[in-house]
Amino acid sequence: MPQTSREIVRRSLDFDTPERMPRDLWVLPEMERKHPGILKKIREAYPSDFAWLPGTSNFNWISSVYNVSPRLKGNPYKAGEYIDEWGCVFDNVYDGIIGEIKKPLIEDISDINRVIPPYEILPSDYAKARDFVNSFCGNSDKFVFGSCCPRLWERIQFILGTENAMMDIMLYENEFRDLLRIIHDFNLKELEFWASTDVDVLMFMDDWGCQNQLLLRPEIWRNIFKPLYKEYCDLAHSNGKYIFMHSDGYIIDIYKDLIEIGVNAVNSQLFCMDMRQIAKEVKNKITFWGEIDRQHVLVSNDLEKGRAAVRKVAESLYNPKGGIIAQFELGTGANPDMAMVIYDEWEKIQKR
Amino acid sequence: MNQNLFTAVCKGDRNKVKELVNSELAGNTSPNVILNESMIPAIRNIGERFSKHEVFVPEMLIAARAMQAGLDILSPVLAKAGHKALGKVAVGTVKGDLHDIGKNLVSIMLKGAGYEVNDLGVNCPVEKYDAAVQNGATVVLCSALLTTTMTYMKDIVDHFKSNPNVKIIVGGAPVTKDYANSISAHGYGSDAYEAVQLVDSLFKSA
Ligand code: B12
Repeated sequence: MPQTSREIVRRSLDFDTPERMPRDLWVLPEMERKHPGILKKIREAYPSDFAWLPGTSNFNWISSVYNVSPRLKGNPYKAGEYIDEWGCVFDNVYDGIIGEIKKPLIEDISDINRVIPPYEILPSDYAKARDFVNSFCGNSDKFVFGSCCPRLWERIQFILGTENAMMDIMLYENEFRDLLRIIHDFNLKELEFWASTDVDVLMFMDDWGCQNQLLLRPEIWRNIFKPLYKEYCDLAHSNGKYIFMHSDGYIIDIYKDLIEIGVNAVNSQLFCMDMRQIAKEVKNKITFWGEIDRQHVLVSNDLEKGRAAVRKVAESLYNPKGGIIAQFELGTGANPDMAMVIYDEWEKIQKR
Repeated sequence: MNQNLFTAVCKGDRNKVKELVNSELAGNTSPNVILNESMIPAIRNIGERFSKHEVFVPEMLIAARAMQAGLDILSPVLAKAGHKALGKVAVGTVKGDLHDIGKNLVSIMLKGAGYEVNDLGVNCPVEKYDAAVQNGATVVLCSALLTTTMTYMKDIVDHFKSNPNVKIIVGGAPVTKDYANSISAHGYGSDAYEAVQLVDSLFKSA
């Protein structure tokens, strides 16, 4: 009997030789709008092995599970002003992608009591919400994501403004930790709900890299953020779930830490880093949940670049036992025709 | 050189910088000497170490803020003494793009290095750069973090093509030297320190 999507993903994460590599495709709203036809074809030819609960909207994570926060106004992917469930105000200039904080929620980190997590969005009736999620999971043979993706650093940037966040972590560590705690407690509460359901995987994210360097000194990251992320991993594992993380940028310095705290799969910009070095340091110890270069490959009209990129990842990181999810993101400006080519190349590699 | 002032800027100790600048001024040290012999070398030093990945973004930001605190005290004194900036430049993130951390570092480093910087902010159309040039900027630095907005840099280069006095420097994560050449920009820098070096060389050769 062929393996189900769920089994394929599990085996890949456990390095237990799935019958093929799992597939996952991310598409930003702008691309959905511009290329519905091509996307339909791609999804028919190469269905994703992952599933999201219906009604989960990107970035708001509002589904039949959550309540709508009275603070929420507008749409993060529309040009204009958007206010999120924490009350952070964004300004966007372009439909289909997100904007940037307009004005920090608090100008001064000592104003911490003005930061009120949106506990009101958490399910009003946990049993009912759980039933809804579980019935979806029960009817799906895909690998189901918990519909939340907590962030610590990004949230702090949204609250303080990016530059203040970066300086405050250096100058006011105690206050910074207090603020982090408020966010972390909310994140845990949210993750606890999902951990109590039948979803397969929890996840969290934060962008930790610039193009060729970590954003923060690794020791500071280890000291302040790693222990909190470990709590997310422990929560997932103690409930029999896998846990995934996303981070943009150059993060080679922290892969080993992610492995140590128990992250099962990481979505990162492999192409910003030296893939051979990644292979040397962490191959077969963590699963690479994508990527293919968004900056130079996915936006190219030269489809051969897509094939070459897949071969490059494969040469460094492929192992038929597992460790790679064929994932990439069709973001603004991406060439949708790349998707077919990339999946096709992955198939060729697996047949070799 | 006042070693303590140099160290205070590098460490980003804003209060110490203020205190030391004030005491140097009280001791009749020329503002030019304070700036050129202690503060500018300090900010260049931190930029160079950032370029070598020995220093990280937050440390750069703190150093820059300390530098600014010193400049706030020095600027009026410098102006009175007839001090002139090394040159006038404009820095902005291009139209459609809201990423500004890198652009801010470039701007801060240039200020620290002694240039008069017109920071145009994010999401800048050609008209904004043009207005800055009308106001005297002779070097225009454009930042882009998205492959979709980086193409706008060509519009900017093309716009200023007929004005040989204006030089365009480009940078930002997806931008490469090849790309900069392909759109005929006058320079490409991979980090904020290189931005300063490029601007230095353009003003020297002007
Ligand atoms: C932080 C970040 C954000 C923050 C920005 C916060 C802010 N205030 O700037 C937020 C969350 C808002 C954001 C939003 C988005 N982002 Co963003 N972001 C990043 C990230 C992780 C780091 C960028 C950064 O600040 N680096 C730190 C600074 C110091 O580095 P830097 O900007 O590169 O600048 C240095 C040099 O490049 C140089 N430099 C910069 N400018 C200039 C100019 C000159 C003249 C010179 C000489 C040098 C120079 O000097 C600087 C210092 O040395 C990058 C990842 C990456 N690989 O870079 C993605 C990244 C740039 N983002 C990306 C994307 C896709 C987006 C969004 C579209 C996402 C979305 N879902 O909608 C939105 C777009 C928002 C918009 N409308 O502009 C992609 C772009 C891909 C592409 N196709 O090009 C990246 C590469 C991530 C990825 N996974 O691929 N982002």
